[in-house]
Amino acid sequence: MENRSRFTTLIMPPAIYLFLLFLLPLGVMLVFSFRAGTTGAAHNIFTLNNYRAFLENSSFQRLLWRSAGISFTISIISIILAYPIAYYLAFRAGVNKSILMTLIIVPTWTSYLLRIFAWKLMLGSTGVLNSILLSTGIIEQASPILIYSRTAVVVTLIYVWVPFVMLPIFSSLERIDRNLLEAAADLGCASWESFLRVTLPLSMPGVVAGFFFAFIPTLGEFVTPLLVGGAQGSMYGNLIQDQFMRALNWPMGSVMSLAMLAVVFILMFLLTRLGPLSELLEL
Amino acid sequence: MKSLKISWIVLSMLVVASLLITACGAPATAKSPAATEAPAVTEAPAATEAPAATEAPAATSAPVATTGNLVMLDWSGYELPEFWKQFATQYPDVKVDYSFLAESAEAYAKIQSGFEADLVHPCSNYWKIMVDENLVQPIDTSKLSHWKDVNPDLAKQGEFNGKQYWAPWDWGFESILVRKDLVKTVPTSWADLWNPEYKGHIALYDSGESAHVITALALGLDPWNTTPEQDDQIKQKLLELMPNVLTIWSSQSDLDQLIASGDVWVAASAWNASYIKLLGDGVDVTYIDPTEGRAGYLCGFAIPTNSKNYDLALAMIDAYLAPDSQAYLANEYGYGIVNNAALSLVDPKKAEQLSLNDQNVISRTIFYKSINADQRQSWTDMWSEVKTSN
Repeated sequence: MENRSRFTTLIMPPAIYLFLLFLLPLGVMLVFSFRAGTTGAAHNIFTLNNYRAFLENSSFQRLLWRSAGISFTISIISIILAYPIAYYLAFRAGVNKSILMTLIIVPTWTSYLLRIFAWKLMLGSTGVLNSILLSTGIIEQASPILIYSRTAVVVTLIYVWVPFVMLPIFSSLERIDRNLLEAAADLGCASWESFLRVTLPLSMPGVVAGFFFAFIPTLGEFVTPLLVGGAQGSMYGNLIQDQFMRALNWPMGSVMSLAMLAVVFILMFLLTRLGPLSELLEL
Repeated sequence: MKSLKISWIVLSMLVVASLLITACGAPATAKSPAATEAPAVTEAPAATEAPAATEAPAATSAPVATTGNLVMLDWSGYELPEFWKQFATQYPDVKVDYSFLAESAEAYAKIQSGFEADLVHPCSNYWKIMVDENLVQPIDTSKLSHWKDVNPDLAKQGEFNGKQYWAPWDWGFESILVRKDLVKTVPTSWADLWNPEYKGHIALYDSGESAHVITALALGLDPWNTTPEQDDQIKQKLLELMPNVLTIWSSQSDLDQLIASGDVWVAASAWNASYIKLLGDGVDVTYIDPTEGRAGYLCGFAIPTNSKNYDLALAMIDAYLAPDSQAYLANEYGYGIVNNAALSLVDPKKAEQLSLNDQNVISRTIFYKSINADQRQSWTDMWSEVKTSN
């Protein structure tokens, strides 16, 4: 009995926090998505028109799928890059583990915007890469073509998210019972075989978590595309921002945000089907 | 040893978690790096509901509160004490709190959702909607000592239903900024943006409104009175331009950096503040006066209907309109000003660069007009479509 009340007391602050700052705003957005207008009389009219308009607007949908594709690419490449780092840290780094871990995290101590600007400095027409290519004679004229493109958005976002993807993979690798690997070796597994049949499956929860660590925030990204995306690099988040800030059409912005949420949920549902959900929750 | 290792990992995790939170917060600060949290507004709880407009006449005879605080909803950069010296002298005990804007829409959204400010500073395309929705109250210009010197044409733009709701304060051009040293031919009109010579080196401003206006001007149309057919013509024309566009700029610092680096040669809808800044940095730029005319924005102050400090707010407007404040705005920020009496205090070179010495500059500038909800929606959607065309 006492345990239970202690549990309630402990769970209350985060529950209130989640309710006020997460569920409540989501509810407000849901209500807004059914309104005919942001303010005035239209504010009180209940309508499904926003959803209809969204379904009829091909450019919104096209960009949602394109952004989902970009985020998917970013997440997959981040996992591929992060996995070896996590593996090295978990199995090979030994006593240097904490130092190496800190080194990986150090870049994230600087401002997010500053790191994006750093990429402009590297890829821009007066940037490091252009200068090298110019001096080696590979190109004849400096060109800003390396930046201001969808590829630049992908490259920049991968750079930003690799450390965050690495962390859950690392923690799932750390949890693997080393005896299992020994047993695999005893039973005649080659090292690559024991990796494929023991290590990799056991680290899948971390990989899936890492995937969502990168996928969810990048899907709503609008700052990075603005700064390095160029004329064609806009992502879905930019259109949501336009609806809220330029068109003052909060109902439409809400519908678009909910559609993005739906995409994340659907993908999450599909991915958790791959393995039992409980495995994920154990993470 | 073991526990030390674990604490290291926990510490790193904590750092990452907090960074994750701040990284998610980054977009909000992206537009205006100086923007800080809105200062907590604690006001006297009494007498909140009565509309201040009716209180105002009574307050004329009553002495103005000389303590308390005044809340400004303003752009970052304008909070410098140089802009309100007169107020600081008059009311040394009044605490002035600033809450910052990144967009005019934010001023509207914040006031609309009940944020209590005593002065708000959006640009003129948001003036009408705020008056129509009764979010701001008329200004008693008879109490402004500097009002007589305010340019009447600009003042007129702040007048709605026969009442002065907005006190214009700052304005500027939206025109074409060119890296003279990098282009072969310097453009002379908005239509020149379509010149293939600039392919891959054009920057457009990230605003459907601005894109609509400049394209309409290039096509010889009246931007604020377009038919649906003309809207379609504008969209097609913009779609033709997009393959030549390198990037879309979203803030002044962003654009300044794009031009300074040489990535962008021709920037549309650039502000004169960028021009002054880049000239000061020694970049070889020129600011075009297009044959179709320069677009112009105008921003200014109004007192929100829910303000409880009407008289203090008036005194603050007067301070911002004072010649010293206005001259500082032109000299330091390179913005157009509204107080004619301040012109003599502006550095002649700056006045020349900003065309402030030109008698007809106001009438020659095509100022943004108030737009209705349909225009706002249709231009935004058009822009979304153009931006995502391929």
